[in-house]
This record gives sequence, C-alpha cells and structure tokens, in this order.
Amino acid sequence: MSSTTEQALSVGRPFDATRARRRHGWFGGLQGSEHAWAVAFALPYTAVFLFFVIYPIGYGLWMGSSPALYQELFDDPRYMTTVINTLLYVGIGVNLKMFLAFMLSGFFIRKRWWSKFVLVLFILPWATPALPAFMSIHWFLNGQWGMLNNMLFELFGIDGPVYLNEHWTGLAANVGAYIWKTLPFWTLILLAGRMAVPTELYEAAAVDGAGGLRKFTHVTLPLMANLYFVCTLLDMVFALGDFNSTFFVSGGGPAMSTEVLATLGIRYAFTVALPNLGVAAVMSALPLLIPLVILLMRKLRMSEGQL
Amino acid sequence: MINISRRNALGSSVAAAAGAVLARPYIANAAATTAVVWNNQGFVKEEDEAFKQVVSDYEKKTGNKIEYSIMPFMALNQKTISALTSGDVPDLIFHDAPATILPQNAWNDKLLPVNDVVEVQKARLNPSALAASSFYNSTSKKRDFYLCPVKMGTTPFHIWGDLVKKAGFDLKDAPKTWDAYWDFFKQMQAPLRAAGMRKIYALGLQVTTVGPNDSTNLYQHFLEANGGGDIVTEDGKLHTDDPKVREAALKATTWMSDCYKGGFVPPEALSWNDADDNNGFHEKLFLMDLDGTISTEVAMIHDKAKYDAAVTMRLPNRNDGSPMRAFIGPGGGFIPKGAKNVDAAKDFMKYYMLPEVMNANLKTGLGRWIPAITDLCKSDPFWLDPADPHRVAYTSQALGTTRPLYNAFNPAWGQVEAEQLFMSTVSDVVKNNMTPQAALDKAFKRANEIFAKFTFA
Amino acid sequence: MSATISNRRKRSKLYYRVQHYAGEIACLVLGAVLVIWSLMPIYNMWMIALNKHDAIFEGGLWPEDPTLEAFRVVVTQDFWYLAQFWHQFGNSFYVGFMVSFLTLFIGSLASFTVGRLHLKNGWMLTNAALMTYVIPASFLAIPMYRIMQIYGLANNLWSVIATLTTFATPYAIFIFSQYGKSIPMELDESARIDGANPWQIYFRIYLPLMAPALVAVGTYALLLAWNEYLYNFLLLSTPGSMTVAVALAQFLNSDESPWNYMMATAIIYAIPPIVMYYGSRRYMAAGLTMGGVKG
Repeated sequence: MSSTTEQALSVGRPFDATRARRRHGWFGGLQGSEHAWAVAFALPYTAVFLFFVIYPIGYGLWMGSSPALYQELFDDPRYMTTVINTLLYVGIGVNLKMFLAFMLSGFFIRKRWWSKFVLVLFILPWATPALPAFMSIHWFLNGQWGMLNNMLFELFGIDGPVYLNEHWTGLAANVGAYIWKTLPFWTLILLAGRMAVPTELYEAAAVDGAGGLRKFTHVTLPLMANLYFVCTLLDMVFALGDFNSTFFVSGGGPAMSTEVLATLGIRYAFTVALPNLGVAAVMSALPLLIPLVILLMRKLRMSEGQL
Repeated sequence: MINISRRNALGSSVAAAAGAVLARPYIANAAATTAVVWNNQGFVKEEDEAFKQVVSDYEKKTGNKIEYSIMPFMALNQKTISALTSGDVPDLIFHDAPATILPQNAWNDKLLPVNDVVEVQKARLNPSALAASSFYNSTSKKRDFYLCPVKMGTTPFHIWGDLVKKAGFDLKDAPKTWDAYWDFFKQMQAPLRAAGMRKIYALGLQVTTVGPNDSTNLYQHFLEANGGGDIVTEDGKLHTDDPKVREAALKATTWMSDCYKGGFVPPEALSWNDADDNNGFHEKLFLMDLDGTISTEVAMIHDKAKYDAAVTMRLPNRNDGSPMRAFIGPGGGFIPKGAKNVDAAKDFMKYYMLPEVMNANLKTGLGRWIPAITDLCKSDPFWLDPADPHRVAYTSQALGTTRPLYNAFNPAWGQVEAEQLFMSTVSDVVKNNMTPQAALDKAFKRANEIFAKFTFA
Repeated sequence: MSATISNRRKRSKLYYRVQHYAGEIACLVLGAVLVIWSLMPIYNMWMIALNKHDAIFEGGLWPEDPTLEAFRVVVTQDFWYLAQFWHQFGNSFYVGFMVSFLTLFIGSLASFTVGRLHLKNGWMLTNAALMTYVIPASFLAIPMYRIMQIYGLANNLWSVIATLTTFATPYAIFIFSQYGKSIPMELDESARIDGANPWQIYFRIYLPLMAPALVAVGTYALLLAWNEYLYNFLLLSTPGSMTVAVALAQFLNSDESPWNYMMATAIIYAIPPIVMYYGSRRYMAAGLTMGGVKG
C-alpha cells in the first residue's frame, strides 16, 4: 500500500507524542477540573450499576449456586440435546447473521435511489413485536395450511414437508426466525460503523489505484474488524438468553428435540415452579459465556485507546 | 338473547350476594382492611366482569378493600413464582389452572394452609375437586388444603355435528365404549374427503409434545379408558410396575401411534402448540377432538350458526364397559406464606365460596367452569338447560363419575407433564421407529427417576 | 498507434459499462431477495389481519374476502383486550422515549469519559457493565421483582424504565466505545486548545459525530421498551399503566383468541418505530458529513 493510504489511515491514530502529553496533562494534576468532569460523567452509570446490577446479578448467581441443581440438570435426559442445540443455535445463528449483516451494511451504504425503500422494508422485522411475528412464522411453516407450502403448491405443484415435525427443519426454523428478527439491527450497527470510516481513506486508496476488493481488504476490514468482533460476542451473549424464537416457532418440538437452554430454563422456572433449576440451566452455559465475557473485556479495554 | 341472559345473571348475582349477607354472618373481622389480590384473566370478557362484580359486591358489604390486578396466565405464573421465591407476596392469588404450580410450592412450604376456609363449604364441595386441592408439605410432613376450590373443569368431546351429518352418520349411533367411539369417527373421513373436503382429518388427536398439557391430558384419558387410571395414587406413589397400568399404557401408545400412522390425524399434530388444535377445530381441519372445558364453544357464542353446528359429548365408557372417571381440575384461590392480610384474604375467600356467589360468578362467566359445589348445577336450571347444545353435556359429565388430576398427589407429576414423557412414547414410535414396549420402558424409567426425588414421610 | 489506444479505451469503456450494469442488476436482485425475505412473515400477518376471524387458516395466498374490520376494531378499541389501546400507546411512547433517552445519555457519558477523557481505571466501568449480561434478562425476573419492592418502586412505571435502561445501557457503552474509536482525537485536542471544557466537547463534538451510532442504539433501546411485556406484567399491576406490548401478550392467554385482531394490532404498533427511525436518518447523514470535516 502506498504512502498516501498509510497517511490517511493514520488520521484516526494519535501521534505518540500527543498521547504522552495528554496523559501527563490529565493525570498530572495540571487540569484537575478535567478529572472532576471525567468522574462526574462516570457517575450516572456507576449509579445504575450499584442500584440495579449488583443485587440482581448477585441474587441470580446465588439462586443457581447449589451443586445439587446441576446434578438434577445433568440427570434430565433432555439436557444433552439441549446443549447441542444451543451451541448450534448460537454458533450458526450469530455467525451467519453477523456475516450477512456485514455484507448487507456494504450494500446499504451505497446510495441508490431505491435502496432507502429497501431499507425501510428491511428493518420492518426488527420493529415488529416478537410474539406476533414468531407466531406468524409458526403458522407460515405449518405443513397442512401454512403459506409456505401453499406457495410451493401454487407455484411448483409440490407438497412441502411438515417442517416443524422434524428436528433439523425445526431447528433451522428457529435459527432462521432469530436471524430474520435481529439481522436488521446488526446491519444498522455495522452500517453506522461503516459510516464512521472517513471517506478520505477511500479517496486516498483510490488515488493509489486500489480497486473495490483492495479498498475492502485494506480499509474497511481493518477498521471494522474490532466492531464486528465485539458485535459478534455481544450477540452470542444475547442469543444464549433468547427464548422467544424457539418458544414460539417450534415450541421446542418435536419431542423436545429443538429445545435450547433458555427455553428449558423458562420451563423449569415458570411451568413447574423450580426457579433455581431454571437459573441453573442458563448458568450451565457460563463455561461458554465466561470466555466470551473475558474476550469482550479485553477488547473493550483495548478500546480505551484508539485504533 | 345472550344479552338478556347476561343481564339476568348479573342481576341474580347481586341478589344472591345480598341474600347471602343477610343469611350468614361469614365476616370474621369487622375492621376494614385491604387485601391485595391477583387473578388470571378469563378467556372471555364476561369472566373478568364476573370477578369484578364479586369484588365490588364484597367491598360494599364489608367495607374491606380488595386491590386486585388481572393478568394473563403466563404473566401470573411468572409473577406468582417471583413473589413466592422472593417473599414479597400478595394476600391472595386466584388461578384457573393452578395444578402446575401449587404442588411444588406446597412441597416447598411456600403456601399457607387454608383448611379453615375450605371447611366452611366442605360438605358440599365436589369430592374430586376437594381431593385435588390438598397438597403435601415436606416441611410440616403432612397434607393440607392449600387451594380453596371455586370452579372446576373437565374434558369433553368436541364434534362438528354438521360434518357428521354430511358424512351420512348420526351421533345417536356413536358406540358406548372408548376405542369404538373413536373408530366411529374414523370412518367419516373418507366420505367427507369424497364430498370435497380434501384436507380434512377425522381425529384432532393431540399427540403433540409441544403444548404444555393438552397431550398429557389426552394420554391420561387413554390410560383411564384402558383400566390404567390409577398410575398415580393419592399416596403419591407411581405404579408403573402394576401390570394393569403397563397394559393400559401399551394399548394407549399403540392405539394412538396406529391412528397417526393410519392417516386419521393431521400430520402437524405431532408439533401442535397450545392454540393449534383449537385453531384447527375452528377451521374444520378435523372432525372432532377431546379438549379441556367448553372454551372452544364459548368462543363461538356470538356466531349462532357455528355454535349450534358444534356438538359437545360426554366421555363414553371404558373399553371394558365400566364407566370412565372424568378428570377434574379445580381452580380457585390460594394464600402465599408471608401474606400480610391473611384475615382479609380468608374472609374474601369465604365470601367467594358462598354457593350463591360462586354460582352467580360462574354463570356470568358463560359456564366455562362448573361450580366446585356441584349440587348447584342441580338446583339452578342454567347448568343443565337442554336448550344449550354444549353446557348440558359438559355439566353432566362433571356430575357423573369423576376423579382428581394426578398433579395434586405428587409434584413429580408436574415434571412428568413438562417433560411430555407419556406422549413422547407416541412420537418415539411414529418418528423413531421404536416399539411401543421400548418407548414405554424409556418413559417409565424416567418417570420413576422423577418420582424418586419426592419421598413422603 | 493512437488508433489502437483509442480502440482499447473504447473496449474497456464498454467493458466497464457492462460490468456496471451487471453489478446494478445483481444489486437489484439482492434487493428483491431482501424484500421478500423480510416481508414473508409480515405478509402472513397481513393475511391473518385481513381475514375474518373464522377464515384465518383457510390457507390461500390472498384472503378470499379481505376486510379491514380487524383494523377498525383496534383503532376504535372495540375488543376487550384493546380497551385501552390508545392510552397504552401513549405509555409506549413515554416508556420508549425515557428508556432511549436515559440509555443514550448514560451510555454516551460513560463511553466518553472512558474512551475520550481517559478516566483513570475507567476500564473497570465497562467491565462492570458486562456483568449485566452474565445472566440473561429473562432470568432476572425474580431479583428485579424483589429489588423494586425494596426500593418501593413496585407498580410504578419507573420500575420498568429503570429495568430496561439497566439492560440496554451496557450495550450502548460497548457500541459507543467501539464506534468512538474512529473519531479522531485531534478534534478534541483542537477544541480544548480553543478553551472548550469537557462538557462542551461532549455536547458539541462527540455527540454530533456519534450520530449514526446514537440513532442505531437509540432505536434499539426504543424497540426494547416498545416490545417488552414480561417486565410490564411483573412490575406493574394495572393495565392502564402498561404498554401496548402487554395488550398483545394478552392474546396468548386464550387458545381461542381472535388472531386477526392480534396481527392488526401488531402491524399498527410496528409503524411508529419505523417512522421514527426513518425520521432520524437525516441526523445519521449529518454525522457522516461532519465526520468528513476533521482537523
């Protein structure tokens, strides 16, 4: 890459000298009022954390702290299938979606006269309330009178299968519904991320004779990688706790074969009145969750500085 | 017509309440107090109105105040469990189908015994409803009443009478024993399809493993019909080793699997959720089903043609010809441990259970629930009114031979239900090509594991 | 020689033009696929909403006898679940705006102080925020219920607002700190040299440049509050103080609900967030152009 692009890329990076001066200035007592400001700005969230996070999370961890709960959990014959389903649900649902969202954010950043109309329709799934939307998908997939099979019949004259009677199609339906509902949101986040990439960088790269692909690999990708990674990790955490799509699309069927930890937990907690076991069910995902959280922490700590 | 009857019902409820107050000094404490009450929302608006009516009558009579909130089941379950777990509880909770949450909470000593409240009406309460209202407490090591039963539901058959006629049959010819009764409807599938109903199936058999309890309810009926109704007994014991129970379960699983494989059940039924079977019935995707209460019909009450086209029928006899015991699930009020205004809550509960109040309340709710004091059905012509095509069959089933649901006997049953153990045997046979024996072995083994967690003193 | 060059130029012009059109057509196809994918389940909702109650699942591709009756019922509150529809709609706006505002305000302040002011040990704040997500929100019902009783906020709309803000803010902090990294530090420096204090830098420089992220996260918080129903039921007790999402959840209470009314409600209810997002898009564009002007 030529020097023009290099220079342009460094726009976002402070020179070491500036940074050193600033650090010295801010914490050397010279600008004490700035420190006061900084503390004041941190207060609102500190208050939220102290009043609304510590107690509930502590309480939750305490609820799921008895080892006997985990014994009971592992004795449940549904548990292993549920764990595998959760891994598939989170692994595929999140990664496929983030990849699509990244690609689509590139699609939407290009100005075309019709793309804003597409964007409005595209964000509809996100704005639609989850319950009716997932129930609609459940009915859409009904083998007997659902719209999907009706369309297949009208267009191609074939009788589609009963999707929700099979493990794989049922699981795919849940993952698909989750992607459908949340894809617009992550696309918008990544779209916002792309908007923040200074246009000078692309111009500079173009001056250097970089084509679309090179612009992508040398400008977009390095600048977006971190945001992409943080979004993926966050969404994995969200997906682990999501019960709506499984609960309303396949309902965990057939024969409990598409259950995920979140739906299993909700059933324990509020159907058979074993709330501690319900919390234990989602907490059993902690071995997966904790590395994710630590990764996120490290990423965020790096974000203290600039790119 | 409906409006007039509703107004009558409201009027009679006021009159009955007034009469009750004059006749019986049920009020324990004279000092005006406030009770916080949660109630589940009804299926029809009239049920909620009936509840509010009782509250306002009570407030007028006593000067006590009832602070109530009405919410849907899902929310009430979540809120109730949150309250019982955290200790910040209301004074009284009404629930139409508390069988899934009460046994476990009674076991964990989270509820207050209400023996004194139940005692007042005990002599008149339906024995099955009564038996399903007492639960075992593992701390006090005894069984007490924790539910004050007000209403009860049972499971009748719902049939499209017009389609039966269209198929060239007459419901009067329906056989009197279980398997034959179902088979009677199977033969209507072919003529109906020939008559242009390309997609219709004969039986809306809920062989699903998705919906919360429709399928276990169906399976229970098959057990009872085949002589295995005592799979769980009042002492909380599971009897899967009883050859009679095993044989009944084998017959049940085999019959339902064969029926599904034979193409008499919508293929979708394996993954129906709670509402799908009801939707299917309304859309005439199948001819008949067995489903709890007459909510299906009450939902059509403003559409006279459909209301009259549907037929509600009582359970036939067991396969051996002996009468079948209809399962009874009571609904009513319970008091959480730690409630602040126990006296007020009990007082309101006693008022609610007065026969006149109970009767007026449930009539206003369009008769979806039967009074737990069943003899009211004999004294008030509303319940056995031959002009109504549904209520009479439904009510008379509740007046006949009955038995309590298993849930009250042992909290383990709630988990068996939640794991869909019994109906899973059908999907194991249909989808996984297991033999009924192997499928049942698996289900029984797991059921015994769950029951082993609960030991009674 | 010059002729061959111009020939080559011509050919490559043609080549680029073909490539351009092929690309445009591919984009159109992609756009069409996107629209179909997004609208399928929503079209299904329309179908149900336009049908009569007893013909919802007859299974055609267009209702045999379409009617706007369900929409009339919703708008005129002519069904008992929807008796307070417009009032609850107002609540939805109130809760939605409050949660969005608080989330954006608290989240942007936190990320500004950690990322731009380099608050000493500020990383502890962002790491602490992550703890919120160790247990999924739906499993915190019991502790949240308990803590609101302790604070005396039970049955107060603010208990729902506080809960949802708690769940949305950490997320806002993460996205903002990631996003903020692409805003050049030099802007802050030059403003500081001009004598601006941190509040002015936050308000005049940081927030405008963050506009795209603010719009995206703000819409996220709005929709979180807009469609939330479990915490409404859990923390409040009168339907008059709840949002429309609660009315929607009521339909699940019965196996026999008029699903056409439910779908009509959902469709009407989905419109305001779309309009708001669309209306705020010009601020996103503003952020974009300002991002181009830098020191």
